[in-house]
Amino acid sequence: MSARATRRATGEPLWLRALLMVIGLGFLLLFLGVPLLAVFVEAFAAGWPAYRDALSDGETRSAIALTVLIALVVLPFNVVFGVAAAWAIAKFDFRGKSLLITLIDLPFAVSPVVVGLVFLLLFGAQGLFGPWLAAHEIKVVFALPAMILVTLFITCPFIARELIPLMQVQGKDEEEAALSLGAGAWQMFFRVTLPNIKWGLLYGVILANARAMGEFGAVSVVSGHIRGETNTLPLHVEILYNEYNAVGAFAAASVLALLALVTLAAKTIVEWRMRHETQRLTASDLPPEKG
Amino acid sequence: MSIEIRHIGKRFGDYVALENIDLHIPTGELVALLGPSGCGKTTLLRIIAGMESADCGQVLFAGEEATHLPARERNVGFVFQHYALFRHMTVFENVAFGLRVKPRKMRPAEHEIRRRVDDLLKLVQLDWLADRYPSQLSGGQRQRIALARALAVEPRVLLLDEPFGALDTKVRKELRRWLRRLHDEMHISSVFVTHDQEEALEVADRVVVMNQGKIEQIGSPDEVYSNPASPFVYRFLGNVNVFHSRLHGAWAEVDRDSPSVDAGEAIAFVRPHDIDIERRAVAGGLEAIIQEVQVIGPRVRVELSHDAELIEVELSRERANILSLAKGQQVWIKTRKLHVFSSPLVAMEEEGSGI
Repeated sequence: MSARATRRATGEPLWLRALLMVIGLGFLLLFLGVPLLAVFVEAFAAGWPAYRDALSDGETRSAIALTVLIALVVLPFNVVFGVAAAWAIAKFDFRGKSLLITLIDLPFAVSPVVVGLVFLLLFGAQGLFGPWLAAHEIKVVFALPAMILVTLFITCPFIARELIPLMQVQGKDEEEAALSLGAGAWQMFFRVTLPNIKWGLLYGVILANARAMGEFGAVSVVSGHIRGETNTLPLHVEILYNEYNAVGAFAAASVLALLALVTLAAKTIVEWRMRHETQRLTASDLPPEKG
Repeated sequence: MSIEIRHIGKRFGDYVALENIDLHIPTGELVALLGPSGCGKTTLLRIIAGMESADCGQVLFAGEEATHLPARERNVGFVFQHYALFRHMTVFENVAFGLRVKPRKMRPAEHEIRRRVDDLLKLVQLDWLADRYPSQLSGGQRQRIALARALAVEPRVLLLDEPFGALDTKVRKELRRWLRRLHDEMHISSVFVTHDQEEALEVADRVVVMNQGKIEQIGSPDEVYSNPASPFVYRFLGNVNVFHSRLHGAWAEVDRDSPSVDAGEAIAFVRPHDIDIERRAVAGGLEAIIQEVQVIGPRVRVELSHDAELIEVELSRERANILSLAKGQQVWIKTRKLHVFSSPLVAMEEEGSGI
């Protein structure tokens, strides 16, 4: 009787569960596994030396360097903006709060190509600030500054989105406790707030980093594709591929794919740590009430 | 250190949280702010702590202006309802926090910090938990650690926001008594917020009863219980029977000593345990029919009806046994003590009361 009830509770018959699993896993294998494998197969199609040569090519190297540089510049801004926005939203009540939350999501809603175009219209030669920039000989579009700006725009929601729910759940009791104990604002932030949000922050940084390095559309519009100068890794892959340099293209792509795998691993570790921490926070091995 | 509150007012948008509050808390007193939720008691406590700013009025500490002093400079210990322990620090580090964040010049040496934290943990009898994290403690233990943490900075005032609200009854009772002892040992002023009248009456030297942003009454626990200043206080501090004026005439005998109230406009408040039941007619007694007899622990609760009116009476077990009451019996009830308020006052309150 009870055995039957248990089987009922788990629900679906075996064949249906198997079918769902085959569909799910099959889809993953077909659309994620096979392409990923293909990238590495193609990259090594002409053997290891060809792969090494392709990666040590000057233009590929500068593309990698530029990609890393943009990520390094963008991430600190993202951290500051993300923490500030999440702090404001989670711990204060003010007018326009819901507007701010909506605005934070804007970069997710807008197509990256449109973002690129907007920055062209603002900073391009015919753009709003174009003449002024030209008069002062400041080069924004088709140069590093515009690429950093669009990447900032695209990646700014990641950290904030990760932190807002976390900080809302944590409330502001601990911060108030710190203040009442005599802590200054910075002491409160570094000793109480930051340790509480560190894993969420790291998670956001990992996601933002992956996006910053992988961004194509917006960067493509404002970069001008100047080889060795304004070519990031994703743009470089496209150029090489269009020149029928399959080994070069896939070698460069394999670097991006590798980056994705590292991101995935880091993300999993951080997620595991976060879960571990929350489990510790709700641990049930309470010592007995005494005295 | 004494606390002086002068004409404090606070609004949240259109909502009036506090209106013209005046309160003096002398040094060494343990004061309870008592009231239903939303009466403004927590807001008042947070204003004293400097975590909320008042729209108008003044806060004075030991006679000195402190209205705009930031929280960190007030030297108050604050204890939160949900403990607010730093979850990523051990119990030891939690208690040491207030000492570690002091400016370098005033910061005690490491061995001094260690000694003081150990002393405090012994004071709250939890020195054996120093290396645990807050999540590994029970609610009662967490709250005691929160207290130790607040006391580490040697505050001049201890403020507690529903400190035992999240705990179960047994632990709560224990901690109450413990808080009372601790307060007496520390020689500081303490203010605690509660909605539990029993807690306020048991622990505090003085009780401040609040309702809808205003103070209804300030007095010793016995005063507010025995001589409530308003119908609200009467109702909030325990059960009460309310008799309208037409019954009043029948009780002329009992109420002869309050001639100031015109019989037509009076409403009488009587606590259930201030009514006695007799099986025989007595002078000034009121005829009633027993509707229900319930035994609740050591007490017996009897529900009676007089015309359409329901009356609740509480007897001791012994008394109930002697009377051997049963449903449907006719009995006579007589009050030992009642309190009369004019009916406009009561009507006014019934319109907007939070209970």
